[in-house]
Amino acid sequence: MIGALSLGRKSLFRLPDGPTLVKWFCGSWTSLVFAFLYLPIFLLVLFSFNESKSGFQWEGFTLQWYEALFQNRILLRAFTNSLLIGTLSTLLATGLGTLGAWMLYRFRFPIHRMMEAFIFVPMIMPEILMGVSLLVLFVNLSLPLSYLTVIIAHVTFTFPFVLVGMQARLQGMDPSLEEAAMDLGATPRQAFFKVILPYLTPAIASGALLAFSLSLDDYIVTVFVTGAESQTLPLKVYGMVRVGLNPQLNALSALGIVLTILLVFASERLKQSNSGESI
Amino acid sequence: MADSLQGGSVPPGQQAGWRSWLLLSPLLVWLGLFVLLPTLLLVLTSFSRRDDMGRVIYSFTLDNYLRCFDATWLSIFGSSILYALVATVICVLVGYPAAYTIGRASPKNRRILLTLVMVPFWTSFLIRTYAWISILSQEGLANSLLLSAHMIPTPIGMMYTPFAIVLGLVYNYLPFMILPIYTSVEKLDNSLIEAAYDLGAGPLRAFSSVIIPLTRPGIAAGALLVFVPAIAMYAITTLMGGGSNPTIGEVIQNQFTRARNQPFGAALGVLLMLLFLVTFLLLGRKKSSPHAA
Amino acid sequence: MKTIRHLILALLPWALVACGSKPASTTGNSDVPGSQEEKKLNLYCWSEYIPQSVIDDFSKETGIKVSVENYSSNEEMVTKLLAGGGKYDLIQPSEYTVEALIRENQLLPINPAALSNLANISSEFRNMPYDAGNKFSTPYMAGFVGICVNTDKVKTPVKGFTDVFTPNHKGRIVVLDDAREITSWAFATEKLGINDVTPENLEKVKPILKKWLPLVKVYDSDSPKTSLKNGDVDLGVIWSGEAALLYRDDKKFAFVLPSEGSHLFVDNLAIPKMAAHPQNAHLFINYILRPEVSRKISEAFPYYNPNSAARALLTNEEIANPASYPPAQDINRMQTFRDLGKQAAAIDELITQIKAGGK
Repeated sequence: MIGALSLGRKSLFRLPDGPTLVKWFCGSWTSLVFAFLYLPIFLLVLFSFNESKSGFQWEGFTLQWYEALFQNRILLRAFTNSLLIGTLSTLLATGLGTLGAWMLYRFRFPIHRMMEAFIFVPMIMPEILMGVSLLVLFVNLSLPLSYLTVIIAHVTFTFPFVLVGMQARLQGMDPSLEEAAMDLGATPRQAFFKVILPYLTPAIASGALLAFSLSLDDYIVTVFVTGAESQTLPLKVYGMVRVGLNPQLNALSALGIVLTILLVFASERLKQSNSGESI
Repeated sequence: MADSLQGGSVPPGQQAGWRSWLLLSPLLVWLGLFVLLPTLLLVLTSFSRRDDMGRVIYSFTLDNYLRCFDATWLSIFGSSILYALVATVICVLVGYPAAYTIGRASPKNRRILLTLVMVPFWTSFLIRTYAWISILSQEGLANSLLLSAHMIPTPIGMMYTPFAIVLGLVYNYLPFMILPIYTSVEKLDNSLIEAAYDLGAGPLRAFSSVIIPLTRPGIAAGALLVFVPAIAMYAITTLMGGGSNPTIGEVIQNQFTRARNQPFGAALGVLLMLLFLVTFLLLGRKKSSPHAA
Repeated sequence: MKTIRHLILALLPWALVACGSKPASTTGNSDVPGSQEEKKLNLYCWSEYIPQSVIDDFSKETGIKVSVENYSSNEEMVTKLLAGGGKYDLIQPSEYTVEALIRENQLLPINPAALSNLANISSEFRNMPYDAGNKFSTPYMAGFVGICVNTDKVKTPVKGFTDVFTPNHKGRIVVLDDAREITSWAFATEKLGINDVTPENLEKVKPILKKWLPLVKVYDSDSPKTSLKNGDVDLGVIWSGEAALLYRDDKKFAFVLPSEGSHLFVDNLAIPKMAAHPQNAHLFINYILRPEVSRKISEAFPYYNPNSAARALLTNEEIANPASYPPAQDINRMQTFRDLGKQAAAIDELITQIKAGGK
């Protein structure tokens, strides 16, 4: 929709109209942002094929790190632990956050303000404080340090992120949405599941994504509340720094990324074929 | 539900009945057990002493808090807050257009793009940070490219500088900004924006008068999710900054490790948290109702 | 619907208890030698300090299942150990931590009769100042801190700390991110005993530290070799093992012990008081003491191996690495860190203060 150079006396280059300009600007900006986000990723995938162990000089193409990775039980075990813990804590955190945000929005509780303050606490408490105090708590509750304690800890510091995002979404919601649904004969329960929840889906999705990432990458809190079998990937990675990061880690990350991207595209394909329409 | 008459209008902010309390109970129990109790423990620790071994001797003393107000720690507080602030502002500026684009894309593309934003963060942050080190270091990628393009005569030291710290912070917190803004953008009513243009507004006007105010909750949430954790962050600032500018997160960390002074670390942490709570409460008072846009 | 969801949310954590939790290990120590202990060992050690192959070989040979948990600092280990959360059979404390743990009665005495290979430890490591007669600990690896120089970039001779911290090296230096270490170097230049940490002595070295620290570009205890390798710094004061790894890959990285004096650090294996499998712990220690096993560890971590039988198996190149094995008389002259107790906080504050640009 560019205004073409009009041939003629007063040849003006007509600027594209507002929305188009915005689209272009935002589009190119977003590409730059993605380039920024993926530059280190691209590099680390590249170096997973690097002959050199230290990863700063290119010394030749090799698949040895991938081979070594598949024989590295410890690393693979840590990886699956991270995935397991991440998934379970994300499910719990998302449920807790969504339910909590909705209840606080929908009803007036006398302790509303105090609850809101405490919801913030895990976000603002420095991680080492949370790790140590949770450790002391678990020991006093005679909870053995294992998957359970790690999941509890992860849920505790991720669900506020879900909740806050949810509240932002609810703030902009038309308050009569639920009312309208019930005017049409829905019970509050139906209204919630058929109207509110779909409206909240983007916030649920983004909250879950955030929670999962936070859980996958957590080091300090996990260090204090984990047992020997529930050790996660970040713990192993952190330790490897002392001898130099092993390209096996690059291989692992590269595989994880490729897998995720494939999954995303696959699920989109599935959705399309199921609904029989291309959205 | 006993709370509502069947089919009647139910305004939000309604008085809670017993069923609502039941549904609130998971949150309540979780907060009570895993947030309140540890926080109490922390506060108790902050008033305590410790022995030579670093074990906490529960007692009552104000020494730890008094110590927090020494110039050293205050200036470290200050610089940590400054770094977090700068990183947050940059995240807003960089993240908003991206979040806007994703939020306005087709539903299919939206989901893909959103996930693509998060995928880099499913690699270990250590590996990502070391990748940045290999890009920014003296003999790294950036310098090699700039040198071969003859844009600089000698390599620039980009690592272990405030620039590197901010870059590290922005890189790691950008998704925390993009995601909340996205959720606000996603529900923007197209007709509102079209109306703005139809009324003759240029893009700048449309944004400043219509779009940005409508997405303010998302921006606020994003700013919160970046600013707050960024202050206590120490791993990135230490790795990218070289450790010569200590942050409050690093100081607290040290109290629990080398300095073996958990009570002092707890006091610093409690003060940090109080700072936030006070700010939050003050801001909350300004908001008249939960539905102020 | 909502109530069901609530129930699920409430029950899920407890369902996880069933599948996730570890059965509480039997407390107390079995005095009966040999067969009473179950075939398990809970190892709590530094990350990446015991090669996985060593652990695997031990498991294969003895049938003992080893579960490994890692830590990245002595204090982190002590915190978790004293909090009582983990039941560990074997820990890997550094010298000053051994001293503190002995004082607090947190360690089980080692039974020399169970360690047939103990004789492999060379004589200078038999009677350590932090553990008289090595009653509670067995040396694992020793090392020191020294000066590593990229001789391609630094052409002037560097013999000691005063040569490192000069204005012409400003912004090109890496040091360990360890307040105690840094302070001990300043103490060394002032000919003060490294364990004489008194307020007066700290005041004395303050001006030195104030001169030194602004010249430093990077503080890094985890991997100081990174910045040297990347060319972001030209020289530094780092762990000997790190320097040895650098030297192994590229001979341009020279290593020298500071003329003002250096100190020895010793990492040890020790058994916590509440260990459930002390017999297995002894078996593991004895395994580590074998020359060929210890030699494997040296290969991966070229620090100073206290096992003289293992040293005899090293290649000429490994022995010749100046960062791994300096002349013997230097080792004998070196002090080790003693536990400082509360003074550790004073040192940390001093360094943080100066880093933050304080008075």
